[in-house]
Amino acid sequence: MGKQMNNSCYLGIDVGSISTNCVVITPEGEVLCEIYKRGDGHPIESVQQCLAQLTAQLPDRFCIQGVCTTGSGRILAGAVVGADVIKNEISAHARATLHLYPEVQTILEIGGQDSKVTIVRDGAVVDFSMNLVCAAGTGSFLDSQARRLNITIEELSARAIMSENPTNIAGRCTVFAESDMIHKQQVGHEQKDITMGLCHALVRNYLSNVCNGKEIKPPIVFQGGVSANKGIHRAFKEALKCDIIIPPYNMVMGAYGAAIIASKSSIEKTRFRGKEASTKPIITQGFECGDCPNCCEIIEVLDAAEIIGRTGGRCGKWEGKTGPRESLRGTGPRCHVSGPSTGRETGHEMCRQVDDVPDLIQIGVPKK
Amino acid sequence: MTYMAIPNIGNYTIALATAVESLGIKAWASTATTPAALKLGIDAAPESVCLPLKAHLGHFIEADRAGVEYAFMVNSVGTCRLRYYRHMIGQILKDLGLKIKIFGLGFDGFKPPIVRHFDPGPITFIKPLFHTVQKIKAIDELEVAAWRTRAIEITHGDTTQAMNKLLVELSESRTMAQTRAIRKKAAACFAAIPVDKEKKPLKVGLVGEISFLRDKCLNKNIEYILGSQGIELRNFFLLGEELQNITRIVFLNQSRRKSLSKLADRYLQNSVGGHALDSVAYSIRCADEGYDGMIHLCPSGCMPEVSIRPILKRVSKDKDIPILEISYDEHTCGVGIATRLEAFADVLMERRKKNNSPAQRGKRAGHG
Repeated sequence: MGKQMNNSCYLGIDVGSISTNCVVITPEGEVLCEIYKRGDGHPIESVQQCLAQLTAQLPDRFCIQGVCTTGSGRILAGAVVGADVIKNEISAHARATLHLYPEVQTILEIGGQDSKVTIVRDGAVVDFSMNLVCAAGTGSFLDSQARRLNITIEELSARAIMSENPTNIAGRCTVFAESDMIHKQQVGHEQKDITMGLCHALVRNYLSNVCNGKEIKPPIVFQGGVSANKGIHRAFKEALKCDIIIPPYNMVMGAYGAAIIASKSSIEKTRFRGKEASTKPIITQGFECGDCPNCCEIIEVLDAAEIIGRTGGRCGKWEGKTGPRESLRGTGPRCHVSGPSTGRETGHEMCRQVDDVPDLIQIGVPKK
Repeated sequence: MTYMAIPNIGNYTIALATAVESLGIKAWASTATTPAALKLGIDAAPESVCLPLKAHLGHFIEADRAGVEYAFMVNSVGTCRLRYYRHMIGQILKDLGLKIKIFGLGFDGFKPPIVRHFDPGPITFIKPLFHTVQKIKAIDELEVAAWRTRAIEITHGDTTQAMNKLLVELSESRTMAQTRAIRKKAAACFAAIPVDKEKKPLKVGLVGEISFLRDKCLNKNIEYILGSQGIELRNFFLLGEELQNITRIVFLNQSRRKSLSKLADRYLQNSVGGHALDSVAYSIRCADEGYDGMIHLCPSGCMPEVSIRPILKRVSKDKDIPILEISYDEHTCGVGIATRLEAFADVLMERRKKNNSPAQRGKRAGHG
């Protein structure tokens, strides 16, 4: 029994907009292996590649006892690997940070498309905030500006910390930042100063948009993909005038938190699909629900001919369900429509086609 | 058959459709704005107006395309744009060159223009109005029962299914007797759902702009997401209560607004229009009644709701109740909303655990 306990471990997977990360931990929270992989818009393949890498790295004696997925692709990833728990990334990140730094008060997290701030008091999350539609305070901002300067993001980080006199760049919006940056280039500012200026712009944007009205108290932990960027770290230190802790595993904190959540969830028997999840080809197919005029595009995740999960519905009747399609139809909330149809609706039974519709509309013919 | 398009206000549209029958015509309506209609509205409206106006506008454009001749739009009192909704929508429809004729609720003389235009006989007019009141009461009861049951149901989706079945029956009910029978049956239907009576669900109040409180397409099905997280809701827009309030103002001269202003007096003395006063007053009341948290739904660009956002932050601090702000526009993504709601649920759960610990309880008793 004791030996088996020693060999058990838990897997956390974080499928973000830019990267897919995996972390395997022992029940005590010690990290056995971590994988950070920049995805390229193929979440399923990324997850499978991560799993394959993981099985290669992890010694054979370890046996995965529970899996938790997080990140914006958590539901899809959960279906692919057979997750026991699916958790939002805000809670997962906070869980990991609180595990490493129980006394933390503020967690700054900047990822590829998302940036968040989490306020912690007495070891419990009390408030959080997440960026809205704008991506100007996130990693994508730096990525696109680095591309514009024709340097890699690693070079940008290295150059920024050498700057002694950072350029002031308007950072309200990516588009304005770009035109301002071009102007500064042409005026003759040094590249290292411009890169540091960009870091300051991102931090200013983040602090004024995401952290607006929040009480930022030390100790502050900074994590997420962008925390690897030393320029941003320096900009935060200068803006907040205090020390910013960058935790170990800073790039994969979401996955680490997910793994901790899996280990604490008292899972009796894991639904993890094991190695086969990484080797078998997994395909997706879409169909239109048509139960109500919302006409959601439902994505079915298939392993051979077997449905292992569904995503894409708005009402919850398809999410994560594996049964045959017909048994789920007509169960969720739907709209009740009355009156003549515009011809757009699918075979929705509530849309009563009324006989005396005026002959104004002909399906498929443009109005003008 | 003559049709009239009526605005979507969630499930209450079913009752309003009955009211339209009092004019001897039929209603063209849907209980949720369809994505296709929303797109039409977004294309036609100025970019900076709030999403509810775009939704209603799109709905009416769609109606016109289906050959509907008349439309009806409420115009509320107070300093919100909703007061000018009818005029703005009417003007945009005219500019688009559409033939649909839009009515408001204004009085000029004894009969409102809408009644004068259709000129129904007294019996045709009175009977459906009484039936409408019945239906509104029935829907009020359904909503209240659904919030409670959904949070503690054992099999996910039971409540939603029962609710759908009853709503379909209600939309098909033609006589007062039928509606009364449905009201009686509803209680039994909800009581038959297997629930976990031991469970003490989190209690959360929903306040904000009314279209968002009611239209599940606009609010990304927030009631369902919260319910399936095991959260008991209270949505502070019940049409029955609103109507009661109006009758009280007209016949008894005692407005609910007076008691609400008294409650919110410390924070908000001026009328800022819309349902802003309600949002502030109900947040205070919920804090006093021991709710775990509040969610404030606010369309971006909605003047009344945006102006009280700082006030709600203050209420949250003073009354020690977490308030989650969700701002919606047409780019709001369902996954982002779900992530915030899940994280908020986690925050509330941790708070409750902490507040129930003996040390905290002693502390609070000491304060009291």
